[in-house]
Amino acid sequence: MCFKNLPVEFDAQGKPFLRDGVRDPYTQGAAVAQGGSRQLGTQQIEELLRRNGHIKSVDFDPVTRVAGALAFHTVADLKARKVLEARSVATLFRGYEVIMIGRDPRDAIYITSRACGVCGGVHSTCSALAIEMAIGCQPPPLGILIRNLALALEFLYDNPLHLHLLAGPDYSAAIVEPTNPSLFALAQKTEAPHAEVHGFRTIADLMTDLNPLSGKLYLEALHMTRVAREAYVLICGKYPHPQTIVPGGMSSTITLSVMNEMFIRLSQFFDYGKKIVGIWDDLTEFFYQANPEYKKVGARRANLIDTGIFDDHEAYDATYQSANEWGNRRWYTPGAIVDGQLATTDLHTINMGLEEFVEHSYYEEWTGEGQKQRFPTDPAGKPLSPYHPWNKITKPRPAGQNWKEKYTWDTAPRWDRLGMEAGCYARLWNTAVAKKQPQNPFMEATGHSLKVRLPRGALPEMEVEWHVPAVWNAFERNRARAHCVASTAMIAMNNWLAAMDILKTGDTRTSTKFEIPRKGEQRGVGFWGAGRGYLTHHLVLDRGAVANYQILTPSTWNASPTDRWGQPGPYEEAVLNTPLLEETDDPKQFRGIDILRAIRSFDPCMPCTTHIQSDGGLITREVNTCACGLDG
Amino acid sequence: MRVIVAGIGYRNLRDHSVGVMVTDLLESRRWPEGVVVEDLSYGPIAVVQRLEDDPPERRPDRAVFVAAAVRGDRRPGTVTAYRWDAVLPSPELIQGAVCEAVTGVIALDNTLVVAQHFGALPEEVVVVEVEPDNHEAGETLGGVVGEAFEPLCALVTRLALDHSAAGRLPVGPLGGPLPPVNAR
Repeated sequence: MCFKNLPVEFDAQGKPFLRDGVRDPYTQGAAVAQGGSRQLGTQQIEELLRRNGHIKSVDFDPVTRVAGALAFHTVADLKARKVLEARSVATLFRGYEVIMIGRDPRDAIYITSRACGVCGGVHSTCSALAIEMAIGCQPPPLGILIRNLALALEFLYDNPLHLHLLAGPDYSAAIVEPTNPSLFALAQKTEAPHAEVHGFRTIADLMTDLNPLSGKLYLEALHMTRVAREAYVLICGKYPHPQTIVPGGMSSTITLSVMNEMFIRLSQFFDYGKKIVGIWDDLTEFFYQANPEYKKVGARRANLIDTGIFDDHEAYDATYQSANEWGNRRWYTPGAIVDGQLATTDLHTINMGLEEFVEHSYYEEWTGEGQKQRFPTDPAGKPLSPYHPWNKITKPRPAGQNWKEKYTWDTAPRWDRLGMEAGCYARLWNTAVAKKQPQNPFMEATGHSLKVRLPRGALPEMEVEWHVPAVWNAFERNRARAHCVASTAMIAMNNWLAAMDILKTGDTRTSTKFEIPRKGEQRGVGFWGAGRGYLTHHLVLDRGAVANYQILTPSTWNASPTDRWGQPGPYEEAVLNTPLLEETDDPKQFRGIDILRAIRSFDPCMPCTTHIQSDGGLITREVNTCACGLDG
Repeated sequence: MRVIVAGIGYRNLRDHSVGVMVTDLLESRRWPEGVVVEDLSYGPIAVVQRLEDDPPERRPDRAVFVAAAVRGDRRPGTVTAYRWDAVLPSPELIQGAVCEAVTGVIALDNTLVVAQHFGALPEEVVVVEVEPDNHEAGETLGGVVGEAFEPLCALVTRLALDHSAAGRLPVGPLGGPLPPVNAR
């Protein structure tokens, strides 16, 4: 049975239905999520703080940055070296969903792109997918391939950037040497196993070139952002807010010259993929061997979700009815992983299991007395919760500001009432286990791993293999992200080759003409993804205008607050499980590096600030989290 | 003399969009040879790479940046113009600015700090900034910043074209030279 908590069962033909005898199937008591870490209660925390000098209180300030922000509040026991309380706080409401109401749906492509200053293209594309589903418009094969290429290039910008500019400095000599001197001493004596690939003889050499602003790996990553962006703008015209993404495909003119220019840049990621995989394999294994406790940093249950991405140009028809079929033909397979096991790869089931809760968020409930559920089922007749995005109404209400009541502008999305994690690694995991990826010369899913063959460049041809990990933690997130650079580059290569085949036939069509219907009600959903993982846009059209628009981003999942069942959100859970391994007994020197590694491993992208109280006063450390969907 | 007028900010964010609204308007006007007006709101790292791409003979001698900036010590709608002293913060703060830059923060301060760190700015950097009042999403400027819009466009135009006017501006850190206490 796919759902363990939602009251939905499947008949012999696989058709879902609401379980018999449940009078009010979606109420809080009808299904209770089980397992996982729990927050201590507010009173328990206050009691501990009062009685124990070594348990440190925590403070936070709202961070008033322009684009959105996140604060993180922790209570740490420096004696026991563990975290007692963790609260993730989105401090700004930006209201993109409110802005969309009443507009022409085509506006969504340009307005939602602005939800993020990095990954505008993924929001534009997700909008286009939602619109083309709602209005019934199928892109031509070349349009699908070029769209795939554009977004693969965006990910090739995004993933290395995170690894070497944001997460990398946490593993650099500049950080490791002062926070864990014995570890750095060991790194100086430890040979790097993949030295012949990445060129660093010892782990300490590698750490030195991860140093911010000056390290070779840091500067190289900056350069690679340019390479990916140059290729991207050949298709999309502009970065980060593309101008060529339309419902029904792409408005770009694609020629052999454009394809060749793109290939010159794409091919640079073949060698870069080999190198980045070697670096993060070496770093991860070094930390594990130095101290197995590092396996607990950022650890949480392996509950992951992704809608898959990069459509098979021969399968995608833009309909909801066939979403399971075209979804399972995607280059990265959709899926929900629960406790490390693949629960489903069907987009309908993923969609059915979605709910968003606001108990600890600055929003009003939209269900309850006198409220009619707008859509009891999806367009295929399968049951939906009143908390499903198609039924959700964004009602901002910043009241009741405390840990017990409400403390964030983020909502608590759940799948089957579980706190799920979004990340590019979710798609890697689904693809490896499901073995549904189209046949191709560069990649092979084995059921427990994903093999990627990278062509010869300056480095020889090489196969890299990502294995489903035994533990799920900060290190495995980063390692998997490095493997995503290699696999995304080869998915792009597959799509480039297919696009060239179509161009050779003289078919240069990249889009399909469409009209926005001015009558009736239509629904669509964009199942897509960002460099950071899961992305959906749920759209309702009414007589040609947007009646409801709901965005769920990776950060909506990852930064989500504790839910109505007391389950912490993924950041919170990961930090609660993190041991404090920093080598200092002096609170004034305490940097909270292990907590920072835990949070940053999620690939957060907008600035966030953690404030950790110690004897030395308030310690403020910059984290970064994507706030592009934290609101509503 | 070559001059670049650069608008910085997010679109659809009311007063915070004022920089790009200025350059949107000014871009459509006729400018003498050597003056370019651009929306440089696509991320500081990409802005660095855009500025570095100019061949030496086309690199600007002066950049005029226009943007909203929350300083909090002046009335909303206040326009402050100065020549930036180009003094960079500590390496830790520069890394913070780079982190913000590559993760989607588009703001005046991180654009200037990142661009200066990587040596992409001309010697003379003029900053024209406005204290915003309305911080929420929306397409229009709020009252006080809306009232300041026309004079702001005129000031930016003058600072792009009138070399002596630009040269007479005070030199100061980000946010501008400190005004007398009673004016703050």
